[in-house]
Amino acid sequence: MPVVDVDPEELRELTGHEDKDDEELKSDLFGLGLEFEGETDDGMFQFEFAPDRLDRLSVEGVARSLRYHYGDARGVYVPNTNDPKWTIEVEESVPDERPYVTGAVVRGLDLDEAALESLIQLQEKLHATMGRGRAKGAIGIHDLAMVKGAPLQEGAEPSITYRGVDPDGDAFVPLDSDDELTPAEVLTEHGTGETYAGLVADLDRYPTIYDELGLFSFPPVINGKRTEVTTGSRELFVELTGTDQWTIDRMCTIICYALSARGATIEEVEVNYADGATHPDEYGSELVRPNLDTDEKTVSHDRIETLLGVEFEPEEVVDCFERGGLDATYTLGEDVRYEVSIPPYRVDVLHPLDLVDDVGRAYGFDDLKPRYPDVGTVGGRHERSRLEDAVRTGLVGLGFEDLLNFHMTSGTENYDRMRVEPGTGGAAVDGAGVFGGGDPVKITEPYSEEYTQLRTWALPSLVMLLERNTHNAYPQDVAEVGFVAERDDDADTNVAESRHVAGAVARRDASYEAAKGRLQALCDDFDADLETPRTEHPSFIEGRAADVVVDGERVGVIGELHPAVLVEHDLEVPVATFEFALDALR
Amino acid sequence: MRLTERQLAVLEAASATDERTVAEIGEETGLKPETVAGAAFDLADESLVEVASVTDEMLELTDEGRTYVDEGLPETRLYRAGLDAGADGDPVPMGAVIGDADLDGPEVDIALANFARKGFGSVDGGELSVAADADLDADPEATALAALDGVGGAGLDADDLNVEASVIDRLDSRGLLAVAESVTRTVTLTDDGVDALMTGVEASETVGALTPELLASGEWRDAEFAEYNVEAEAETARGGRKHVLRRTADRVKDVLVGMGFREMEGPHADADFWINDCLFMPQDHPARTHWDRFALDVDPTDEIPDELIGRVESAHREGWGEDGDGYHAPWSAEFAREVALRGHTTSLSMRYLSGVAGAELEPPQRYFSVEKVYRNDTLDPTHLLEFFQIEGWVMAEDLSVRDLMGTFEEFYRQFGITDIRFKPHYNPYTEPSFELFGEHPETGEEIEIGNSGVFREEVTGPLGVDCDVMAWGLALERLAMLTTGAEDIRDLHGTLADIDFLRNAEVSY
Repeated sequence: MPVVDVDPEELRELTGHEDKDDEELKSDLFGLGLEFEGETDDGMFQFEFAPDRLDRLSVEGVARSLRYHYGDARGVYVPNTNDPKWTIEVEESVPDERPYVTGAVVRGLDLDEAALESLIQLQEKLHATMGRGRAKGAIGIHDLAMVKGAPLQEGAEPSITYRGVDPDGDAFVPLDSDDELTPAEVLTEHGTGETYAGLVADLDRYPTIYDELGLFSFPPVINGKRTEVTTGSRELFVELTGTDQWTIDRMCTIICYALSARGATIEEVEVNYADGATHPDEYGSELVRPNLDTDEKTVSHDRIETLLGVEFEPEEVVDCFERGGLDATYTLGEDVRYEVSIPPYRVDVLHPLDLVDDVGRAYGFDDLKPRYPDVGTVGGRHERSRLEDAVRTGLVGLGFEDLLNFHMTSGTENYDRMRVEPGTGGAAVDGAGVFGGGDPVKITEPYSEEYTQLRTWALPSLVMLLERNTHNAYPQDVAEVGFVAERDDDADTNVAESRHVAGAVARRDASYEAAKGRLQALCDDFDADLETPRTEHPSFIEGRAADVVVDGERVGVIGELHPAVLVEHDLEVPVATFEFALDALR
Repeated sequence: MRLTERQLAVLEAASATDERTVAEIGEETGLKPETVAGAAFDLADESLVEVASVTDEMLELTDEGRTYVDEGLPETRLYRAGLDAGADGDPVPMGAVIGDADLDGPEVDIALANFARKGFGSVDGGELSVAADADLDADPEATALAALDGVGGAGLDADDLNVEASVIDRLDSRGLLAVAESVTRTVTLTDDGVDALMTGVEASETVGALTPELLASGEWRDAEFAEYNVEAEAETARGGRKHVLRRTADRVKDVLVGMGFREMEGPHADADFWINDCLFMPQDHPARTHWDRFALDVDPTDEIPDELIGRVESAHREGWGEDGDGYHAPWSAEFAREVALRGHTTSLSMRYLSGVAGAELEPPQRYFSVEKVYRNDTLDPTHLLEFFQIEGWVMAEDLSVRDLMGTFEEFYRQFGITDIRFKPHYNPYTEPSFELFGEHPETGEEIEIGNSGVFREEVTGPLGVDCDVMAWGLALERLAMLTTGAEDIRDLHGTLADIDFLRNAEVSY
C-alpha cells in the first residue's frame, strides 16, 4: 500500500485549519482511510492508504480531501488553464516501445524547500504506482527558464522535441553528475542510469527530449542537470512519456492539481505527433494538454439505496456527492437518476458503482446498521473434504499425530534425499514406475532453494518432520492426508493434483508389520481390500517394500525406510511407512 | 505383624546403626526410589524407622563462569594487561589497557568493580595503577571456578569445594555459578523396628495385578489388593491428535455450514485467468509481477471457454456496462492462460460463479472454502508462503452493505469476536470494500481479521451473474493464532513443526 509523507505544518497551512493539533489531524485522516504509520526523522507524518486515491500521494492532495471532509470545499474543482504557448513535437524516430508524451507549463511558482520536496515525493510516488516503476509513465520536471525553445519560423511558438536517438550519440550532463555522458554511458556509469537501464537497454533508439540547445532529458531514466528544478525556479516545464497516453495524462493532471494548490497557474501545451509517429488512436495526433475535463457517469437512485441498504432523499444524495468533491444533478420521476461529474484526478472511478461507494463514504459507513440477510440456503461439506476428514479421523484413532506440511518443496527433498530419481514414476497417473518419482511441477524463477517445486508425494515431508524432531520423545507416529501434484499434459491445467494418505511409524521397534497393521486397519474402516505384493523401491530396504494394492489397483507403496535414507535424515530409529492415493478409499 | 512386601523389604534393608539413603536401599531391594520413600514414610508412621533428610547445595558453573575459566576473570585480565603496560610503575591511561585486556561491553564494568575490591590496584582520574605484588594464584574466586570446571556437568557439593562460604556467595551474586538444592533422605531403624524384626514380620499376601486366573478361579474373593499410591505421577499416554490448524478449520467449516454455506473445491494450480483476470486485476498490477506469484513451468491451459475469455477481456479493455471504463493496461489471453499457484481461493469463487465448476447458479446461494493459498512473502513468525484462506460469498438479489455487515458479524461472533468494525477499503475486485477489524478476545487489541466487499460488476458481469455477490476472505492461521495463542506460525504449519507443540496444543472446540 502506498505511503505518503506529510508535513503537519504544511497540512494545516494548506487546509487553512491552523487550529488542528497533530492528534486531530491523524484522527481526521483515519476517517478518510489514511492510517498513521509513524514519523520520519525530520518530523514528517507517514500515512498508509489503499492504492485507489492516487491524488492523495502528496500533501496538497491530502489537504484537498480534508477540505472536502471539513466542509470547506464542495463539488468539483477544476483549476483554470491558460492557452498554450509551448509545443512538444514528437518525431517519427521515437521508439515504438515508448511512443507517448504529454506535459504542462506551470508559472508563478514560489517553491520553498518543503514544497519542492513535496513535488519530488509526488513524482516518485506516481512513478511507483500509476507509472509502474516508470515503465508505463515517467515524469520529468524542468526549470522552464533553462529550456530554450527555438521557434521553427519567425513568430511561431517555442517548442521542445521528443525524439529517439542513437544510444551512443549526443551527450549531456545528467543530474547528480558533472560529466557529459551519452545515453548509453548513463546506463552504465550513472547510479540512477543503472537502476533504470532495464527499461530502455533493449531499444535501438533511446527516448530523449531536445530543445534548441540540445539533449536535456533522457526519459524514463534521468533529467539533465541544466534544467534542474530548485527553490529558485518560478516556472516549470512538466513532461511525461510512457506507454499509455491516458495514464501519463492522468499522472500529469495529478501534478497540475498539486502545483495549482500551491498557487501556480497552469498553462496548456500542444502535443504534435509527426506523420509516421505512433499517436494515441482515441485522441488523434494533435493534443492540447493537460486534459482537465471532467468525466460524466450516471447512477440510479435505486442502486444507491439497494447497495447501501438506506433510504435517501435525492437532496441527501447530491449533498453526499458534493461533500465528496463531485457534482450531481438529477431528474425527478419514476426512476431517479443522477448525472455525476467526476474531476480528472479521480483515476479510481471506473463504474457507477464507484459513485455509490462515494455516497457511502460521505454518508458514513459507520452509521449503517448491520442486518442478517433474509436469504435461505442449504449448507454442506464437499464430498472430498468429508472423505479426507474421515481418513484423518481413522489415522488419529490408530495413534498417528496428524500433520500439515507445505505443498512446496525442493527436488533435493522430494527426490535426492529419498534416493528417488525424478521422472521415474507416475504412480498417481498411470500406476507404473517408482511411486513418488513423478515429473515435478516446477516454480519458474524460484526465490528460495527450499521451495522450487510442488511435492510429488507426501512421505518426504513426513521424514523431514521426523528429522526436525529427533530431540523429542519417541515413539513418533505421524501421518498426513495431503495435497501432491505432478506434471500431466492431459490435465486441464497441465498439472495433475491429488491427495495422498501417508503414515510413518518411527520408534525403536518399528517394523514393516507395524506399518501394515495400521494400513490394514484403515482399509478395513473403508471396506477396502488390501494386498501388498513385493516390490522394489529405492527409498526402502530390499525385501521389505511392497506395492499398496487396494481393490485390485496399485495405488501406493509400503515398507521400511532404507538405512541410507534414515542416516541422511539423522534418524537413529527405524521408520516404517506407507503412502497411497486417497481416492482408493472412495 | 504384617507388612506389605515392599514395606518389609525396606525394613529389612534398613540398619539401626547406619543411616542408609533411599537410593542405597532402592539398589539393594530393586525397588524404585519413590517406592522406597513411600514405604519408608509408611514405616515411619508406624514408628518402625526414622526418616531424615539432608539438603545439599550443589554448585555448577554458569555459561559466563565457564567463559571466565577459559579466558580468565575480567579483573585478572585487566591486571595482567596493566602489568604488561607497566602500570606497576607509573599509572597508565585506562583506555589502552582495556583494549589490551580484550574487554568488551559489560565486561569493562565487571573488571573495574572487582579490580579494586581484590586489591589488584586502583583507578584514578582515568588512569590505572596495578599493585605489583598481587598474587593472582591466591584469588579464591578463580580457584573455585577452576575446581568447579574440573568436575564437569554433574556439579559439586558445596561442602566438597574447599572455599569459604563468602566466596561462593560472591560468585553466586556475580552470576558465575548456580546453586541447586538436592534433598537426600536417609532411613534408620528405630528400636521398635529392631524389635519388630526380632519378633518376626510377615509379608501380607497382597495381590498386585488382577489376572484372568484370579477372576476365573474366584480367588479374588479372598485376595487383599496391594494399595497403590494413587497420587503418584503416571507416564502420559500418547494418542494421535488431529492437527490443531485442522481443528480450527473444522470449526470454521461447522460454523459456515450452519449458516447455510456449501463447500467449494478446485485446483491449486490454476490459470491466471481464474486467479486474477476474472477478479478485474489489471495485467500490469504489481501483484501480478513474478515477484508476488508462483508461476509454474507447465504449458498455458486451453481449457477456458473462449466466450468467457472474450467477456473478461472486454471488461478489462472497455469496462462493463454503459458508463464503465476499462483499464488502460495491456491485456493478453496468453497471459491469462498461464498457470500459477493460486494466491487466493477467490479463484474457486470465480469458477463456481461462472458455472464451469458445475451447474449455473441461480440466486440465492452461499458458498465457502477453507483451502490453501500461496503467496510469495518473507517467512517470519506471522507469514508463510502457504497458508489457509477462509473464503465465503453470498449471492442474492439486491444485497446491501448492511447484509454484508450482518453476515460477518454473525460469523465472527461464533469465535467470540464481537464489535466488528468495518473500515472502508479498496480492492480492485469489490466495491464497496471493507477491512474488518475486531477486538482480540484476550488482549483487547484491535486487529485486522478480514477483507470483504461486494464484487464489482466488472467481476460478476462477465461471469454471467446479474445479481449481487458479497464476499470475504481471511487467513485461517490468524484465527488459529488467536484461538491457540501460538506466537510463531511456523510452530503450527509445515515441516518445521515441533511435534511436542502439536502434542500439547490445547484442544479448541
